[in-house]
Formats: sequence, structure tokens, C-alpha cells
Amino acid sequence: MNIDTLRFPHFESPPEVDALRQEVRAFLAEELTTVKPVMRSNTWDGVDPAFSRKLGARGWLGMTLPKTYGGHERSMLERYVVVEETLAAGAPVGYHWIADRQSGPMVVRLGTEAQKHKIVPAIARGEACFAIGMSEPDSGSDLASVKSRAEKVPEGWRLNGTKLWTTGAHRANYMIALFRTDSSPDAKHRGLSQFLIDMNEVSGITPRPIRDLTGRRHFNEVSFVDALLPADALLGKEGDGWKQVTAELAYERSGPERYLSCFVLLTELVKILKGGNANAEILAKLGKEIAWATSLRNMSLSVAGMLSAGQDPSLQASVVKDLGCHFEQRLPGLAQELVELEPTLAGTGVDYQQVLGNLMQLAPSFSLRGGTLEILRGIIARGLGVR
Amino acid sequence: MNDTQKMLEDSVTRLFSDLITREALTRIEETTWDVPLWQAITDLGLPQVLISEAREGMGGSWVDAFLVARACGRHAVPAPVPEQMLAGFLCDQASLLLPAGIAGVLPAPVPVAALKGDNASFSAARVPWGRHADFFVGLTEAGHLVMLSNTGVTVREEANLAREPRDHLTFEATPLIGHAAGGLPADSVRWLGALLRSAQISGAAAACLELSVKYTSERVQFGRALSQFQAIQHHLAEIAGEMASVDTMAMVACRAFDARGINGTDRNARFDIAVAKCRASEAVEPITRLSHQVHGAIGFTYEYDLQFLTRRLWSWRAEFGAQGEWGKYLGGVAMDQGGDQLWPYMTA
Ligand SMILES: Cc1cc2nc3c(=O)[nH]c(=O)nc-3n(C[C@H](O)[C@H](O)[C@H](O)COP(=O)(O)OP(=O)(O)OC[C@H]3O[C@@H](n4cnc5c(N)ncnc54)[C@H](O)[C@@H]3O)c2cc1C
Repeated sequence: MNIDTLRFPHFESPPEVDALRQEVRAFLAEELTTVKPVMRSNTWDGVDPAFSRKLGARGWLGMTLPKTYGGHERSMLERYVVVEETLAAGAPVGYHWIADRQSGPMVVRLGTEAQKHKIVPAIARGEACFAIGMSEPDSGSDLASVKSRAEKVPEGWRLNGTKLWTTGAHRANYMIALFRTDSSPDAKHRGLSQFLIDMNEVSGITPRPIRDLTGRRHFNEVSFVDALLPADALLGKEGDGWKQVTAELAYERSGPERYLSCFVLLTELVKILKGGNANAEILAKLGKEIAWATSLRNMSLSVAGMLSAGQDPSLQASVVKDLGCHFEQRLPGLAQELVELEPTLAGTGVDYQQVLGNLMQLAPSFSLRGGTLEILRGIIARGLGVR
Repeated sequence: MNDTQKMLEDSVTRLFSDLITREALTRIEETTWDVPLWQAITDLGLPQVLISEAREGMGGSWVDAFLVARACGRHAVPAPVPEQMLAGFLCDQASLLLPAGIAGVLPAPVPVAALKGDNASFSAARVPWGRHADFFVGLTEAGHLVMLSNTGVTVREEANLAREPRDHLTFEATPLIGHAAGGLPADSVRWLGALLRSAQISGAAAACLELSVKYTSERVQFGRALSQFQAIQHHLAEIAGEMASVDTMAMVACRAFDARGINGTDRNARFDIAVAKCRASEAVEPITRLSHQVHGAIGFTYEYDLQFLTRRLWSWRAEFGAQGEWGKYLGGVAMDQGGDQLWPYMTA
């Protein structure tokens, strides 16, 4: 193994990035004044289409995408700043999150001209909500085993099967989904293709919301029964689905969300401790987590820099995600240890209690979505050359 | 890292790879000093890294010092290279030339009352390689640089777990050979010592990871290399993550110190340094535990290299403050700033 492949290089952030940061901060301070901390603690699950449109109007969505398609051709670092500022503030980014993070770049890279002209501008305006159709009842970590089938028919493609855990499918305008186009036994990976599905145009697709443990309807079971797609719904090349989905997961895994979805809890924890009298032992425990947050932030920034410089940060991104989800999952337990207040449901107790209650319940999902902890560690091990 | 930094790191790595063998480490642990090694280190100019060109130094930055200190950690170098760089920096900041010879750095501020005219009387605990020093450098409680000769010094020999000398010194009317006001705060040695130890911890952690990957790829049990087992892979991934976190922060803190120093009360490099040492010290536990775990009994022997690294890590964790002290500082910062200012402060 070469230890240098594991390093997080430093990138000088250009002055326009700092100016942008201040601009975003000022905007968020104004937009979020009335949003309660418990709402902020939903971060990338918080949905507010009006907020998404406002971000779009500022030019802060689809930032790195080509201008021809309504994007803004800004750098990866500039997009990173907008993302980390919105997450740290707990802005409701859920409506545009998936579209801005991964679907937009996918459509630009693989879509037809007509799709790009139609969809990408809507993403940049904050009007497009996307869903990710990967997981199925029998295919989670072993994603390449998906069974949902797409058959070539004269009109285009006919889809049958079930997608599961599909975040936001009940409100999404589009879904990018992984289907099997070749069921021969030796075609596990090369029998897969991706489809760009217009959820409003196609019949035979039924999302059924599944209540998550907090009681909210966040993800779905989506059934496809003879859903007919036009021929151009094939995204990219037939048989390239696995390669494409791997690239898509790289977008999904490289952002700062994996350590920032709990940041509101850290903020509220500091507030409540400041109001009491924190002793040295409490300060030390709090300080260690601040050290974690700061180191994760610097690592995350480096990943953004690597992306900007056209390098492949997939190993570093997996490291950030692995460490980040440990950090986030530790925080509610630590908070409970430091402050003698029960977690509460939204609407009862002080802000801190509600935030704690919300994130305590959300925390188990942090090491599952976008690839589990165990799978990420496998990726890291491969990066170390031991698989 | 720019090209000159790459060259610096390469030449330091080459030197240490050649000289720091298991045999050398074993021998120097007994003698605590190796003249040819120190000669090679001075020939390469390492004591001059943090001295400005105007004073015939290398004019390097703290990122350069980071690379050297990290390499020292990675090779478990049994010599006070980081301390010597720091001594050069302290002198340079006070516009003094670093004398030839081995500098001892006084970890704690020298009491102002200890200074009487042209000599000083006080005691100093845990001075790295104190017994070998030709002279001593430290900061007073008032932030002045003092340079002391090594006459009138009684040494009580002590060592850290890696048997690196950490001596208790009693200065008795020891002649003051230099005294100047400098631009650094009085507590600088503790902060910069913590910064250098963070870099060393990063280096030793990287070496633990390298050894662990190599060993588990070669050792076969149940008909397979250990590294084929998922439980082992996850241990390796955890070591890698901890190491990367420490490495990133130590580098960031050195950059921050170059850019902002630790003077004044504004958001300066104190925050980054505290984060770096807090993380580095905390990471020692999982890194040493897991590295030993994947090695089995061989890693617990004196004959195998791992212990040269892990005993250093256990000592460096505490030197210049363990995670508790630095965590307390960071918790205090959070209390001063308040919840809403935490993120702006972190990212400033
Ligand atoms: C809140 C939330 C939102 C989600 N949103 C989406 C979405 O929008 N779209 C989508 O497609 N999916 C989504 N998912 C699904 C997510 O991607 C899967 O949960 C994940 O890939 C794991 O699959 P699984 O749940 O079937 O668990 P399984 O794969 O059955 O795993 C269960 C446990 O076994 C472990 N395991 C599995 N295989 C191995 C192995 N080889 N070695 C060691 N351990 C192993 C796993 O790590 C895990 O700990 C979402 C999940 C959650 C919780």
C-alpha cells in the first residue's frame, strides 16, 4: 500500500469562495429566522419546495452544470460551500437535494439533448425533485442482484418489479432507477441498465409511502406493473447500468452531509451547556466532538478540492463517510450523558430536547443510506490494497 | 505540497530509511544517543528548517516542519529533531542565532523570579533529551526568550515509555547566554510542542497502518491471508480513518499557524492546534489497540517493529497535553462563542 493515496491534500480556497460563503450565510440567516431548531434538525430530509426555488433563483442549484442547460458553470468548491452552509444551518434542502447532488450531473452526462434541455434547467431552478430507485426487497447491499426487469418492446421499455426505501418517490417528478435488462445467469453486472423515469407521464408506477420509525412518511415502496417507458428513457447505454450506478454513488458519497446532518444538535448542545454550568469534564467531552467535527470538515473540504481538481476522491470520501457516521451516531448518546434532559417529540420540551429526540431517532439511518458502514469499510480496505 | 516540500520529505525519508533500522533503534534505546545519526540529521540541515534565511536558516514554513516531524514519527527517529527545529524557531523569532550544538527545549515557561542578573536558578520537568543538551532554550513567563548554558545543571534521568530521555533538570546559577524579547506568547512552547507531537503521531500512525496492512497480507491462517477476513479489513479501515483524521488536522494546523500565528485573542491558529492535538491524542487509543490486535502475539514482542511505534504513541499522546486538556480548551471556546457562532468560528 502507498500511504499517500490516503492523504487529504490541501486546496487553497479562492477569494470568490469566501465571498460566496458570506452571501449564503446572510441569505440563510434571513430565510430561516422563523424555522424552529427541531425543523432544522431534519436538514436534508426537510422538504420545502418554496425554499428550493429561492435557492435556485439565487443561482445556487445546478451550480457546476453547463450554462447551455441552465446550469451556472461554477466550481465544485463553490457548490460545496453552498451545500455545507445550508446543511450547517439546517435549511430544508430535501426537495432539491437528490437532483442537485447526483441526478443533475447524471442527466448532463448521459441524457439526450431533449432531456438535458427539459430537465436540467428545472433542477437549477429548484423545481425538480428526484428519487433514487436502486434498493429492492431482496437487494440492499448486494445492489447488483436487483431483479426488477425492463423489457424492450416496440414502444420502448416495459418495467416490472418493486423498488424499496425510495426516498421522496411519492413527491418526485423523476426517478433514476436501476433495472435488469438481461437476466441470463452470467450477466449479474452487465445485465443492468439505468432509466430516467418521468413520474408524471408514466402509468403503472405506484409509490406507497412507508412510515419510518419517527412516524413520518419519508421513503416508499414503489411498484412497477407493466409501466411503459419511451425508448429514450434508457439513461446512458444498455448494459452500462452498473458502471453508471457506481459513478452515481460516488456523487452520493462525496458530500459533507455525512457529518453535518447532526450539526444542529451540536449547536443546541452548546447553547444548553452555556446556559448551565459546564464543568471541566463536560467541556473536555464536548471539545473532543468539536475536534471531530473540525477534522471531518477539513477532510470534507479536501474531497471537494479533489473533485474540483478533477481527481478521484472515492477512497477519501468513503473515509469521511465512515468517520462521519460514527461521529453523528455518537452525538445523541453523548448529549444524553452531558445534559440531564429527556429527548422529546416536536412541540414539547425545550428546543434542545426536541432536536435530541429527532436526531436520536434518525441516527440509525446515517450508517445505512447511500451504502452501509460495513460496505464502506470494505471500500476503504480495497483502497488499502487488501482485497 | 509543492515540489520543494516533496524534495524535503523525500530526502528526510531516505535518510531515516537508511539509518533507522531495528538494530539501530534497539541500540539507541540503550545508549539514548547516536552521534552518526545526529551528524547526518545536522548535515541535512534539519535543525535549520524553521530559521529564516536572514539568519542562515532554511527559511521553511511550519508545513515543512510538519513534513519533517511526520517523517520522524513514521520512522520512530530516536533523536530530538522536532525539538531542535522548535529551538531554532524560538531563537529566530527573538532575532537570535541558534548556537551550534544540541538544544534542549524547556517545555514550561521559566519563572521570571528564576532570573537573577546573568544567571538563572529553577527546575524543569520532563525536558526532552535534556541530558544531551549543549544549551537550553525556553520562554519566560513574560514571553522573553532565554538561552542557558549547560553548566550548573543537575540531571535526574527520566524517560518516556519509548525510553526517549525526558529528564528532570535543576538549574543552579546557570549562566544566561542569551536573553531577548520575542514576538511569541509565553505559552508558545506548549502549543508548538503539541503541534509537533501531532505531526509525529500522524507519522507513527501511518507506520502502524503500513505494518498492519503488510503483516495481515502475509500471515496465513485458516488457509487465507488474514487480510482476506472482513473483521480484519474493518480494523484496518478504522486505523486508516483515524490516521487520516489526525494527518489532515496536523497539516491544517501547521498551515493555520503559518497564516495566523497564536498571538492575540482573535480567531487564530490556537483553535486548529487544539483540534489537531486533541484528535491526535484521542486517536492513539484505537490505532495502537487495533494495530496490536491484527498482529497477534508477534506484535507484542520486542523483536518486532510495532512496539517502537506504539510505545512512542502512548507517550506522545500525553506530552504537551492529552485529549482531555485540549478538549477542555475547545469546549471552552464553544462556551465563549455560543451555539450560533460555533460554525462560523470553526470555518473562519
Ligand atoms: C432513511 C433511508 C433512506 C433510503 N433511501 C434510499 C433511496 O432513496 N433509494 C434507494 O435505492 N435506497 C435507499 N435506502 C436503502 C439503503 O441504500 C439500504 O438500506 C442499504 O443499501 C442497505 O441495504 P438493506 O437495508 O437491504 O440492508 P442489508 O443489505 O440487508 O444489510 C443489513 C446489514 O447487513 C450488513 N451486510 C450486508 N452485506 C454484508 C456483507 N457483505 N458483509 C458484511 N455485512 C453485510 C449491512 O452492512 C447491514 O449492516 C434508504 C435507506 C434508509 C435507511
